[in-house]
Amino acid sequence: MAAPPLWRSKSTRAFMFQSVFLAALVAAVLGATLTARSNLAAQGLTSGFAFLWKNTGWEMNFTLLKVAPTDPYWWFLLMGFCNTLFMGLISLAGASGIGLLVGLMRSGRNPAARLLGTIYIELFRNLPLILQLFFWYALANALPNPRQAIAFGGALISSRGIYLPGLNVSQGAVALTAAILLAGAGLAVWIAATRRPQGLDPVRRRRLVLIAPGIAILAGVLALAASHDPALPWLTLPATTGLKIEGGVRIQPEFYCLAFAITTYGGAYIGEIVRGGFKAVGRGQTEAARALGLSPWQVFSRVRMPLAFRAMLPILINQYVWLIKATTLGIAVGFSDFFMVIASSITHSGQTLEFIAILMGGFLAINFTLAAVLNRLNRAIALKGHQATGTT
Amino acid sequence: MTAIPLARQGRLRRLRKDFFGSTASTMMTLASVAVILALLRWVLNWAVLNATFSASATQAVCAERSGACWAVIAARWRVILFGIYPYEEQWRSALACAVVVVVIVLSCLPRFWSFGRLALTWGFGAAIFYILMRGGVLGLVRVNEQQWGGLPLTLFIFVATGVIGMPLAIVLALMRRSELPVVARVTGWIIDTIRSLPLLSILFTCAIVLPFMLPGFLVGEKLYRVVFGIALFFAAYQAEIIRGGFQGVPRGQEEAAKALGLPYWPRMARIVLPQAFRLALPATINQFVIAFMETSLVVVVGFVELLAAGNTAYHTGEWKFAYIEVYAFVAAIYFAFVFGLSRYGAYLEARMSAGQRKE
Amino acid sequence: MDLTAPAIEIRNLDKYYGAFQALRGIDLRVARGERVVICGPSGSGKSTMIRCINQLEEHDGGEIRVFGTLLDDNLGSIDEIRREVGMVFQQFNLFPHMTVLENCTLAPMLVRRTPRTEAEAVAMRYLEKVRIPDQAGKYPGQLSGGQQQRVAIARALCMQPEILLFDEPTSALDPEMIAEVLDVMVTLAQEGMTMVCVTHEMGFARKVADRVIFMDNGEIIEEAPPGEFFDAPKSERTRLFLSQVLGH
Repeated sequence: MAAPPLWRSKSTRAFMFQSVFLAALVAAVLGATLTARSNLAAQGLTSGFAFLWKNTGWEMNFTLLKVAPTDPYWWFLLMGFCNTLFMGLISLAGASGIGLLVGLMRSGRNPAARLLGTIYIELFRNLPLILQLFFWYALANALPNPRQAIAFGGALISSRGIYLPGLNVSQGAVALTAAILLAGAGLAVWIAATRRPQGLDPVRRRRLVLIAPGIAILAGVLALAASHDPALPWLTLPATTGLKIEGGVRIQPEFYCLAFAITTYGGAYIGEIVRGGFKAVGRGQTEAARALGLSPWQVFSRVRMPLAFRAMLPILINQYVWLIKATTLGIAVGFSDFFMVIASSITHSGQTLEFIAILMGGFLAINFTLAAVLNRLNRAIALKGHQATGTT
Repeated sequence: MTAIPLARQGRLRRLRKDFFGSTASTMMTLASVAVILALLRWVLNWAVLNATFSASATQAVCAERSGACWAVIAARWRVILFGIYPYEEQWRSALACAVVVVVIVLSCLPRFWSFGRLALTWGFGAAIFYILMRGGVLGLVRVNEQQWGGLPLTLFIFVATGVIGMPLAIVLALMRRSELPVVARVTGWIIDTIRSLPLLSILFTCAIVLPFMLPGFLVGEKLYRVVFGIALFFAAYQAEIIRGGFQGVPRGQEEAAKALGLPYWPRMARIVLPQAFRLALPATINQFVIAFMETSLVVVVGFVELLAAGNTAYHTGEWKFAYIEVYAFVAAIYFAFVFGLSRYGAYLEARMSAGQRKE
Repeated sequence: MDLTAPAIEIRNLDKYYGAFQALRGIDLRVARGERVVICGPSGSGKSTMIRCINQLEEHDGGEIRVFGTLLDDNLGSIDEIRREVGMVFQQFNLFPHMTVLENCTLAPMLVRRTPRTEAEAVAMRYLEKVRIPDQAGKYPGQLSGGQQQRVAIARALCMQPEILLFDEPTSALDPEMIAEVLDVMVTLAQEGMTMVCVTHEMGFARKVADRVIFMDNGEIIEEAPPGEFFDAPKSERTRLFLSQVLGH
């Protein structure tokens, strides 16, 4: 029996094909890296991450904590990353709220509410997000200038931003409070969703779910109060002084326009997901619940909502990841999110490869974390005896 | 007043129950109707009743009325639609757009649903479009890619995304389900990484970073690099959609093809892919809808497509006040394409699920 | 391919799914023109065995020869064997997006490079043989289960194979449709087709089989002509199985 010629042998062929594939890939990556390094070296740039500790020499226009041009790159990157997370958090929460509302309107029986929901969804879902963002930004810039700012219950609204009454507390305390509140909310969700600690009776668990955020709120308020300077009043109202508005907290148009655009756009998509979720709940379940004598609210909160939530969660995960990525649109209006900080850093420092690596790392980290957390949740609430649809 | 037919009575009762079944329902009806009416009234007043329609109106004329100043569209529509494409040659842009619209409409007809016909239609359409826009042959003046703008640029990016991205997606999907473990695994990583990156960062990399990383002869025009980036992103998403389709094709189909002696490529092209595509059709159309909207992101790396052309149209001094009109006009164009496509997708989905029930 | 060699020759065949051994040292010889029926309880490895013959499953030990051609790493021999070995599946596996006629002409045109007109003529001949030439223009979804399975047989025949493998061809059918499929199979057997059938249709086995093979637990337990097999089984396990299949 003669051995088959090499190119007709299945295993040799498989080996050759995979080797060539890998080699081509490695060659492409290596080639690109080497070309980039020699090109950058020609401009007098050395590769490596030492630049992270150099001063940037430029400014960020929106930060949660203090940032100055004398601060190093790593601090800028960190703050940009926080901005992305902050923007993501606010717009995801907002979009979920709107989505739930619109989805309920669309899956309800009332034709007037259904029509309104449909108008909303078709309008916001069928226009590019960046177009909507530009529109809101143009509107915000067309607001009256600070001297003619619109006063609205202690707040001042102008083209320079919305000025809210501000608490006189330190920035660090605000960050700490935010962290405490997040942890409290997270803990409550975790206890409720994973049914842990195990073996707790439902009444006590429910109490625990309420106590966790309660303690967090209390701790947050204490942290804020502790940092209050007694020489100043608790609240400062914004006031117009000459050409500017001083005092209070300024919400920049770049920030609220982006948050609003992502919230409304994401709300339309999530609304459709919510509607799909309710559609997936069998009519039999609702009828069975009604036949048992549950009130409409009980049918909704105990049967339809929990089942619909399980049906929509896997799609919701993808949508959340998508919306987080949409925060990069900040660069179009000048909101310094992670991506914009990276882009500016590249133009200022020229450390192209390193920043691209950091950018990829940052977004991979966000995606993996978000997907991991939500998949965990998905598995935890999956109906026992049914397959959880999330990926492991 | 005496005899209302029974059927009508029933319908009336049901309507009353739907609108005013309970206190909550009544409140919802009233609130919704109020919002809808307020919206309608505002749109009607602004866009029609109080609007200025005279094409030659100036800001001063428009300012007398509280509604829209449509004169801006009359004055600037060629900038919005065609950007900075040479004025005398703009008929070519218009014709090119028409070609693309025809291609899109044709590929929505079921009789065009075969690989050969679709590839031919899109390839041919793209070629005509490209010749019209670029020129340099057949006596057409050469127009530099940097001067392309407006709607044709949007459509060019969209069509190129489909023409490059779809074959790429098929290749990626096939590689991901390959029997060769290294190929399948590595392709999986590549797809997942691309999907987890924001499209903007890919555009940025293609536009600004790639020239550093490629040997000179590969760099090419910025437009083509960016289009390749969008196509790659599209392909990563579409590959996963096709993979979903693969999973819906029963294993026996491929086994039967193997048992008949069909080699790999005919097996994929004739048996597995057509069925996978049919299953993935609604999601595919949805992906095209998203791809159409995402063409507008190229404004960030400095291209004057439809949206950016709209921006430039009102950014000149005299029309600075008329931004809502311009955005409304641009939005209407996007809406026509996106809404049309997504309605078509919904229609197909309904038709397919009806067809399944019949079988 | 040597038509004077045994149609199928299996020696010491092993097959594993992970740690589970699905086939244990199977030896089997099928002569040209012979009809062999394989039976056994579910999970006994009978489907796995015939799926190894055309490499829908890769075997882990032993060797398989079809008309003298060894099934090995050589891609050419796999192609060659698949051309000569047709298969009929439990779930029909007709291509739903093609008409009956297209199902039948696809492989001859692509694999054997038969011109379309000739392929269609051959297809119509076999569709007549399975008694549904009038359905040629329909799609599989429009046919009954029995009709679909008959099309599947015609599709396999259109490649004009030397050997036909049947993998429980009647198990997915409603009782009233089993007969029409078995009739076709009996006709084929009478015309001298080499057949290996995995089936529970004992009537069919008795009527056409030259040999009946009983498998259990990945092994061949008993191998005998049908008369002997049904009337005087040697093994206790065969007897138990027969009493369960025939008992009611």
